[in-house]
Amino acid sequence: MTWEVGENLVKSILEKAPYAEGKVRRERRLEFKVPAERIREFLMIMKEHNFPLMLQITAVDWPKEGEIELVYHLMNIELGTHAMVKTRIPRDLDKAKMPTVRDLYPAAETYERDVHDFFGVYFEGNEKMEMPWILDDPEQGLYPHRKDFDMLGYVKKKYKILDRFDENKDRYVI
Amino acid sequence: MVDWRLFEPLFNWARKKSLWIVSFCTGCGGIEMPPLMTSRYDIERFGIIPDPSPRQYDLFLITGYVTPKTLKRIIITYEMAPDPKWVLAHGSCPLNGGIYWDSYNAIKHLDKYIPVDVFIAGCMPRPEAVLDGIHKLMEMIENGEADGWKRYKENYEWYRKNQEELLGEGWREKEARKWIPWLMDKKKEVKE
Repeated sequence: MTWEVGENLVKSILEKAPYAEGKVRRERRLEFKVPAERIREFLMIMKEHNFPLMLQITAVDWPKEGEIELVYHLMNIELGTHAMVKTRIPRDLDKAKMPTVRDLYPAAETYERDVHDFFGVYFEGNEKMEMPWILDDPEQGLYPHRKDFDMLGYVKKKYKILDRFDENKDRYVI
Repeated sequence: MVDWRLFEPLFNWARKKSLWIVSFCTGCGGIEMPPLMTSRYDIERFGIIPDPSPRQYDLFLITGYVTPKTLKRIIITYEMAPDPKWVLAHGSCPLNGGIYWDSYNAIKHLDKYIPVDVFIAGCMPRPEAVLDGIHKLMEMIENGEADGWKRYKENYEWYRKNQEELLGEGWREKEARKWIPWLMDKKKEVKE
């Protein structure tokens, strides 16, 4: 079963943005894949196609592929349609950089700071990037939501307790 | 000269009957507060009223998990209060970390940093359990067992050491100064 309104929407978006891939995942869910350097162009096109609301920017860490996937969640209120714009950037700290979309979607400022705090992606052009956000000083620069962050080791070191974290035990007694 | 220690049982009786509370709604326990205060469980019949100011409270409720960042505020709020003051911690998170036992950003033992008089176990405790905890605390106040504020004074070095181990030395001043550069820039923008 196809959802014709969505198919038409995706078609008209992809006509303007031939560099992107897009599909209808199911009713009222669209999915796009865009190269990272053209994200601003693409979001401008999305805005023209009546996606005025940014819900969230999420990041997914893929350590084996050495990439971080950023997902921009956009909402079309009239159709009740949720579009996910996905893009991949390298994972290394010096290369994980993105152009900001703060001027297109003002709500993105918060979400960009969030991703910067927890995943270490630097958004160029967002001048509040260095401003303290959720994390406190000791965790800043550790990027605790990355997959290779050694959570248990860090907890042991920081809180200095901890026989109950003994991994050889069959059963944890907390 | 009156020896006020003679009147201590009377004072304790009075204190247990008029607890003013500040609830530091850190976690999910904040949701348990409204039914507790409104007509269903109505803790006002025990002489308890919510109090907006940390300068006047007697009972400090910590409802849920505590992160190092909120711990700073908790310590400051605790130290602001005048002296007979009690702390009641809800749920298993302040007790031993609860479901955040391996989280980098939730403290595991609250009573290492401030003295806690009554812990209520559970995740999340029902309002009945909180009432039970408050009842227990009232008994302890009358018996003179609830002596967290005395313990804090006597063992201040130990508490201070634990706090500084976790939060870094001079965290009070650092925390106060942290926002100054950002506030300054903001002001400049406004002037121009």
